[in-house]
Amino acid sequence: MKRTLINFSRYLAVTAVVLLGIASLPVSAAQTLTCSVTPDSIPITFTYHGAQLAITGQSASTDDLVVTITSEPVDVALKYKEKVGGLVWMKKGSLEFRDAPRIYLLQSTAELSRLLSGAELNKHLLGYDALRGHIRIEDSAGKPADGKWFDEYLKFKKQEKVYNIQEGTVVRQHGVEGNTYKVDVAWPYQAPPGTYTVNVLAVRDGKVVDRASTHFEVKSTGMVAALSKMAFDQAGLYGIMAVVIALIAGLAVGAIFKKGGGSH
Amino acid sequence: MYMYLPIALTSVNYLVVMGLGLAVGLLSGLFGVGGGFLMTPLLMMIGIPPTIAAATDANQIVAASASGTFSHWRLGNVDFKMGLYLLIGGFAGGAAGVQVIKILRATGGADFMIKMTYVIMLGGVGSFMFVESLNAMRKTKKAPVAAAPAAKPKEKKGGFFAALPMQTYFEKSGVTHSALVPLFLGTFVGVLAAIMGVGGGFLMVPVMIYMLRMPMHVVVGTSLFQILFTCIEVTYLQAYSNHTVDFMLAILLLIGSVFGAQIGTALGKKLHGDQLKILLSIIVLAVTVKIVLELVMEPSILLSYAGGH
Repeated sequence: MKRTLINFSRYLAVTAVVLLGIASLPVSAAQTLTCSVTPDSIPITFTYHGAQLAITGQSASTDDLVVTITSEPVDVALKYKEKVGGLVWMKKGSLEFRDAPRIYLLQSTAELSRLLSGAELNKHLLGYDALRGHIRIEDSAGKPADGKWFDEYLKFKKQEKVYNIQEGTVVRQHGVEGNTYKVDVAWPYQAPPGTYTVNVLAVRDGKVVDRASTHFEVKSTGMVAALSKMAFDQAGLYGIMAVVIALIAGLAVGAIFKKGGGSH
Repeated sequence: MYMYLPIALTSVNYLVVMGLGLAVGLLSGLFGVGGGFLMTPLLMMIGIPPTIAAATDANQIVAASASGTFSHWRLGNVDFKMGLYLLIGGFAGGAAGVQVIKILRATGGADFMIKMTYVIMLGGVGSFMFVESLNAMRKTKKAPVAAAPAAKPKEKKGGFFAALPMQTYFEKSGVTHSALVPLFLGTFVGVLAAIMGVGGGFLMVPVMIYMLRMPMHVVVGTSLFQILFTCIEVTYLQAYSNHTVDFMLAILLLIGSVFGAQIGTALGKKLHGDQLKILLSIIVLAVTVKIVLELVMEPSILLSYAGGH
């Protein structure tokens, strides 16, 4: 009982020191980490072709920063091709990619491998190697698939521009407003509508010492939203509309050409 | 320059899409094919998911084939009676084909067989058409245009086809067949089209030329008439059950394709039936080569979304 008490008080003391330490961080290292994204809402209209995002905030001047944009992980099934009969490439079946973020954009102040150990990178899901360990790939029978399929998956996602890593691109400034950072993100139009999370991690001496996060939303508006809603909620009517408008367009142009003296 | 597509969830350069519509619509008006074999992969190349590419293409073909049917009808090139029989057969064949493919898929390894059959058939049909029309062109070099279709009508008549009941005269095509013949051939093409996941224009056109012995220009018009109805059905079903029709993408495509179909029809009028056949056979052969290359060469990316041809 006595020992437990001692242990407990020791625990309290340690906690207090840690808490004090964190509380004193802003004093010693000048600033807490903050993070905001502009715009925090991206409307999708007919003219939408991706967007330019700026992630800004304040951070301690000596800390390195890793900024990620991700979505909730989802399970996605993709068809895969393999050589059949030693001759032709065919779609053989589908693979399930589990717990895969729809999007994974990362920027940092320096090379990830120099900032954090492999274990730390895995823990915070930073970098493609961490993703490799995180995303589970299964064949249709539920068995784990060959590791080469992660490389193919990465190739596929990079081509869609929804997975991207840029090291050393976070810009820092030291001004009257303190130490600030800025990250420019070319938001790919291939990313579907949804809510996305921005995480900023401050790294010091091989450890993540602080983090801040924020969200932004990509959302269809106006006619884009109305059409996609109709396609799902009033599918029958949508189908009839698509057919009728195509018919009218075809017949009308056919008639115009005749009037225009297209035949002889 | 760019337009966002609400169902495909991607942004495309609308000038490129309209250009694709124009080019494929032209082929449609010229040869009486839907052009899905060309359009679907092209759409996938600009980032449209396969299922949406295929379904939206059907929507676009409704416009192109309506445009083409309309002007071919004015030129007297649509055999509605023949088209109707083929259509009825095609609907039945399509429904049967969907069931056949389920059985084939369940046995495994069917995809390989299907692809191979498709390649062999396309290659065979293309080569046959090429040689046949080349010979015909040599023979009729100095003969007038009108003489071509009536060149050898009686040879293969008689025998089995003539013995069938329900002999019907098809006025526009100038041929007499049992009504069962187009019904059966329509079903046959419908089954194959469903199994191979293609519209069937490529198979239907040669069937009309060589088995139904219809004149080339009537083949084009009648094929378009039939494609029109098939694609109306496909568009509606895809929109209703799979939500894969992107209406905005279809609009962009059809702006190009309805004009393309008109240009194709006008161009076709200037060409001899055998010239049309030889051009079509060259395209069929080119598609065969493309499919073979795709099969043999290692793809740059081994993963894809589900669907498509």
